[in-house]
Amino acid sequence: MKQSSLSPIKGASLILFLGVLLMGTASMAASPAKSKASQKPDPMQVVRGAKAWKNNCGRCHNLRSPKELTDAEWDVSVTHMRVRANLLAPEAEDIKAFLKASN
Amino acid sequence: MRKILCGTSALAVIFFASLDANAQSIQNTDPSSQALLERIEKLESELNALRQAISQSAQTADAAQATAQNAIKTVNVVQKQTAKAMQGRYSGAESDAKWHLAGYADVGFVGSDRPGADSFVTGKFNPGFHFQYKDLLVFESELEFSTTSDGETATELEYSQFDIILNDYITVVAGKYLSPIGQFQERLHPSWINKIQGAPAGFGHDGVQPTSDTGVQVRGAVPIGKSRLTYSLALGNGPRTTSEGGVALEGVGRDDNSNKSLGGRLGFFPIPNLEIGGSYLTAKVGGYEGEAVAHAETPIQVSSDDPLGLDQARYTLWGMDGAYSKGALSARFEYLKSHRGTLFSITGEEPLGDVLPRLGMEAWYGQVSYRLSNVGDSDFLHNLEPVIRYGQFRISGHDELEEENAQDRFNVGLNYWLAPTIVAKAGLEWRNFKVLGVDSEQLYQFQIAYGF
Ligand code: HEC
Repeated sequence: MKQSSLSPIKGASLILFLGVLLMGTASMAASPAKSKASQKPDPMQVVRGAKAWKNNCGRCHNLRSPKELTDAEWDVSVTHMRVRANLLAPEAEDIKAFLKASN
Repeated sequence: MRKILCGTSALAVIFFASLDANAQSIQNTDPSSQALLERIEKLESELNALRQAISQSAQTADAAQATAQNAIKTVNVVQKQTAKAMQGRYSGAESDAKWHLAGYADVGFVGSDRPGADSFVTGKFNPGFHFQYKDLLVFESELEFSTTSDGETATELEYSQFDIILNDYITVVAGKYLSPIGQFQERLHPSWINKIQGAPAGFGHDGVQPTSDTGVQVRGAVPIGKSRLTYSLALGNGPRTTSEGGVALEGVGRDDNSNKSLGGRLGFFPIPNLEIGGSYLTAKVGGYEGEAVAHAETPIQVSSDDPLGLDQARYTLWGMDGAYSKGALSARFEYLKSHRGTLFSITGEEPLGDVLPRLGMEAWYGQVSYRLSNVGDSDFLHNLEPVIRYGQFRISGHDELEEENAQDRFNVGLNYWLAPTIVAKAGLEWRNFKVLGVDSEQLYQFQIAYGF
């Protein structure tokens, strides 16, 4: 009983440690990266988005056509997928731009 | 004859004379010419009037044209504004709150080589709701409606969670969420995604894979080079002992012990098309406390006076998963292993309590599918996708659970995709039970699923 509970605790602390480490580095890197002012349309964003869409959005299910949803719905759905699939935020933004330019 | 000739010449003389007179002077005219003249004058003035009228109507026409042009300009402006307004409406540029109604539904038929087991299955209707406020928060929830075998409507809250987006790398999830352990529950179980009707053995309800949990998660991704590392760490109410002495791995609205489960998954991409993940979960479980306790308002009493220290047992789970997808090909693999220590618990059969031995569970599956989108030139062929899956589920330390669930399971299926989210599936499933004396079973499965 004692012995079998030792390794799980180790495992748990490892996960916790990794988590804290990740959160630490993440929040350090986070502040400059959060570019809310990217309102200027960047034509390359759509191109990057198309690539990221092709590479990421067909991993778990079939690629869904941009025509399926309206712009506002893509905003919500891609955020939903960003959380579900642990996507990088800039990638998700590019994908949104691509989907909204192609529906 | 002469008389006639003379008369005609006289008339002619008069006629020519009068013409001549007309030419010489307008005044000196005879009455008939005067009348003619008057008529001409009248015609002339009428002509003038007409000219005036015409020029007036030309002006009117010009004015009309100008008005029309103005109207066209106005229409253009309005059109542009409407387009802008529509854009504003749909891009959500102006609205802080957006929402999306999604989900899926399926219907099906399952036949079996066991007598009397063929049946239409109503399938499920799972509406999903997503509400987003700016880039800050998403609330997402999914319900599951289904009809039980005795005709009742079953409703379940599949998940109901806040996703608080802290920054580019960290999202905090709070509520009831699908378990991030492994892949099947969180990513593959919806019937429009799952390529085979039903879960692999051990990955559905009553399996080794947790389906959901209630608690908080910290999750996200951090870039490493051109790729990323994904993480999901969860602190939840954790598993609970069932009345049969098994382990229930579903999110409960209330913890039965103050010990929380801690677990999660890390994933990375050694090559762009391949994702590898590792999962871990640890928790303590108490004994089963009876039906009423789970719903009671009073605090749950943990019997800590147990001299053997068997009132709580350690539960651990670890696993690995891999997913490769490239074009038409998709291949997946998942492995999970869990154990729970010896535990003193009430069970359905032993109301006074019993010592449950160490419970071990292990399950894995591999699945390969290939969409025939590049085979031949028939549209029908292009929509077909053959799939195979093989998996095993093993249980030790609980005879009843082992008898019911321990098996090798082999599936072959053929899917026809009517659209990227609409699929008709036909499949065969062989269940080869591992406990001696339990007959193997062969199932025929048909299903139509639609994700929206
Ligand atoms: C990690 C696996 C995974 C990846 C990668 C993924 N999805 Fe999904 N997607 C899902 C699952 C699972 C659902 C079903 C959600 C549910 O029913 O709870 C879903 C649902 C959807 C839906 C239905 C509406 C909704 O939001 O539930 C859309 C649209 C969608 N995905 C688009 C995308 C796009 C676009 C991408 C790329 C950015 C993407 N998906 C990447 C797993 C994934």
